[in-house]
Amino acid sequence: MTAVDGLADDAAVGGDDAARRFPGDPDMWIFVVVESLVFTSYFCIYLYARTQHEQAFLAAQSALTMWVGILETILLLTSSWAIARCVQCTRAGSYAAARQFAFVTAGLGAAFFALKIAEWVHLIRDGYSFGSSDFMQHFFFLTGIHAAHLVIGFVALGVLVYELSDPRRRSHKTIETCSTYWHTVDLFWVVIFAMLYVVR
Amino acid sequence: MTQERGKLRGAKRELWLAWYVTVAFYGLYSVVFFALARAQPPGRPWLDPGQTVAWFADRHWGLLIGFGLIFVLGGFSAVALALITYSIRRMSVSPAYAYSYLILYAIAAIPGFMFICVAMTCGVMRPDLSPVTTQWLYDLGFLSFVGTMGVFLVGSLIWMVAILIDENGVLPRWFGYLSLVNALTEVVIAPSWIFQRGVLAYNGAIGFWVNVPVFGLYTVAFILLLRDFIRRDDLGTGPLPMPPPDVWGHAKRAVEAVGA
Repeated sequence: MTAVDGLADDAAVGGDDAARRFPGDPDMWIFVVVESLVFTSYFCIYLYARTQHEQAFLAAQSALTMWVGILETILLLTSSWAIARCVQCTRAGSYAAARQFAFVTAGLGAAFFALKIAEWVHLIRDGYSFGSSDFMQHFFFLTGIHAAHLVIGFVALGVLVYELSDPRRRSHKTIETCSTYWHTVDLFWVVIFAMLYVVR
Repeated sequence: MTQERGKLRGAKRELWLAWYVTVAFYGLYSVVFFALARAQPPGRPWLDPGQTVAWFADRHWGLLIGFGLIFVLGGFSAVALALITYSIRRMSVSPAYAYSYLILYAIAAIPGFMFICVAMTCGVMRPDLSPVTTQWLYDLGFLSFVGTMGVFLVGSLIWMVAILIDENGVLPRWFGYLSLVNALTEVVIAPSWIFQRGVLAYNGAIGFWVNVPVFGLYTVAFILLLRDFIRRDDLGTGPLPMPPPDVWGHAKRAVEAVGA
């Protein structure tokens, strides 16, 4: 889903200026902006800590398995594609297909979550934990807080499916708002993946 | 008609009184904790017993006077809580939201607000205690104050859901989403129970410093929005006569003013 798509959709329903510029509930973008600032501060704190103890961070980072991070990223990016398709189908009036894409999104999100838990368990069994090093402290914190956002994302998907299930509800605005939340959580993951797994 | 207007004015006066008490309470809270008692920002979690005794001695009168004021006037937090509860009752949602919020915050205020006052006052008034016990009181105070923010989490979520499903336009929807941000920053404080040093300790960059601006923004926002709500409230039961403030309209006008 893009801002341009939102523009076309809202122009069609005669939304005001603000609604034309933002897909879904314009107020939701307050969340996106403030939460992005909060995550940016987490990232800055991580990068600062990394510059202070570069060798220790590099050594601790080697405990992570790159392909797990790549697989998790693929799962979440595919889930973003699925929810964008869900919004497109909703706009086209294909509500049954939209529901299917919503379930695909939830399934991919659940697969990501299961893989993340398996990764945590594997690391803990290998002797790494929240307190084992500064890097692991950041790793478990960033991936944990992201997982908390993902759990709320499942609630948003539940709202989305609930809206799609009944012809009397089906608010495009609510569906786009839930989708915006999901994309935001995915965006945070892309940065977390780049910082924790890729940058060595 | 005139009688009705008089009644409305009277009832509004009570709401305004509650709002000014709310402002006074948060003002007192900030002055006591940050300036008078200097209990915020939190001390270092890794002080040894001797350093903890020195910490208390350095703040002796500030802690006594500051927390004395809190013991006398801290009860006004109930008025602030009542005003928020009233705003939720004014929404088109089940009263269960308002009562859940009221009960949760009333209970949460004990570990999240009163424990630190009791522990710090005890530490400063009983210099005969062993340094190890004083250190225990110091840790209890800060851990209860910072580390129990999670108990406010469910309250924030209840308020968020009430705002988002409300059809009476009591508070703007963006504040509902801001409540979610606030709730999520309350989650990150939990690790302060584990770490004595680093970014997640109770004085850490993430454990404390990132959360302060979010909580400050959230508090200022709800105080101003409650003022706006009281202005618009007709003390009825349906939608409020005027809609909530249009944040996008304000933003657009600000951008246009800068452009001009």
